[in-house]
Amino acid sequence: MASISVVIVTVALPRTHWQGYAILLALLVVLLISSRLPIWRITGRLLLLESFVFVAAVLSLFQPGGGTVFFSLILKGTISLSAMILLVASTRFLDLLSVLKRLRLPSVLVTNIALMYRYLFLLLAEAERMSRARSSREFTRKRRRVWHGNALILGHLFVRTSKRAERIYAAMCARGWPV
Amino acid sequence: MKAIEVTNLSYCYPNGMAALKEISFSIEEGEKVGLIGPNGAGKSTLLWHLNGLLPEKPATTASVHVMGTPVLETNFAKIRAITGMLFQDPDDQLFMPTVHEDIAFGPQQLGKDRDAIGVIEKRVLAQVGLPGFEVRHTHQLSQGEKRRICVAGVLACDAKVLALDEPTSGLDPRGRRELKVLLLEMPETMLIATHDLEFVVEVCTRVIVIDRGELVADGLAADILNDEALMLAHGLERPHILRHRHPH
Repeated sequence: MASISVVIVTVALPRTHWQGYAILLALLVVLLISSRLPIWRITGRLLLLESFVFVAAVLSLFQPGGGTVFFSLILKGTISLSAMILLVASTRFLDLLSVLKRLRLPSVLVTNIALMYRYLFLLLAEAERMSRARSSREFTRKRRRVWHGNALILGHLFVRTSKRAERIYAAMCARGWPV
Repeated sequence: MKAIEVTNLSYCYPNGMAALKEISFSIEEGEKVGLIGPNGAGKSTLLWHLNGLLPEKPATTASVHVMGTPVLETNFAKIRAITGMLFQDPDDQLFMPTVHEDIAFGPQQLGKDRDAIGVIEKRVLAQVGLPGFEVRHTHQLSQGEKRRICVAGVLACDAKVLALDEPTSGLDPRGRRELKVLLLEMPETMLIATHDLEFVVEVCTRVIVIDRGELVADGLAADILNDEALMLAHGLERPHILRHRHPH
């Protein structure tokens, strides 16, 4: 809840309200330190996502008075991202789900997210099995071949996933999911 | 009352291939019936008709009745509560992240409130011999536990008729034995599609054989499974357990 309000406040702050940004940043730093999460991992995640913010912000440089917009966009982006990253890193996924439910998010959406989380592991395991099966019959190390193989696995994974989705939907219907 | 009544059921796949041809049989309440046949005989397809998952376009005249209720689109809610499906791959069936959510899924669709669901959950978990498993993650269970949680999820909907698709596949001997004991204890009517013929000998009293979408035999398990010629003609074989049954 707090993280979401941080994001909302950040987005709503006027562009040049620099003190506001400073307070929010300080708050997040305190949270990060008190949460005892591995700081490097958090920063790594942040930097990865920051690249998207950066690209979006660079575009704003092409408009008149773009400098201020650029800086405020970067700040807004960084603060919002860190708030969300902290939330995700410090909360168990299932707790997040139950909070979403309590926030009255439509139950179809919550179910959807739960399903995604449930099958993520299965999908990864399946991809791993397929790539292991491939490596056991792979004799060359030519880069083109390897990429070709990866592409095939990805394509096949897609087919399998869509078949599985059909079976899961049938299983849901079998237990009374609205037809 | 007849638990399952199938009359002249035919079905073609969307590509036009005939999957079931004029199948008729009925099962009494409380009977445990094995559904056997080679790969691609139409066993799963037949099971999927029992609660209207097939045909894709719901039928207008019912060729399947479950507990006297015709399987028509207007009755789907009722039919799906009384017909419990156990799918081949438990990972398809356990689609929620935790055991609690998965078991609660059916009762929630039936409109039960939270307290009622708690009571049901306790009861079905005790019934399948896994009390206290509510908090477990579904992806961390063993194959045998997954199967039994699937059964619990189906029981939670108050199913009276169970359609089981390959319930023993992927189970180790212990998992298989525990499942056998569980199924033998349960009073529900069952139609069990499987290649595990010894399991059929141990659990079922009656057997239905289908091949290429046609019903080729229906009778006492001991008679049919002992008929070597019939078994071999339909991609099956006489189970060893029957060859070596000594009178002691």
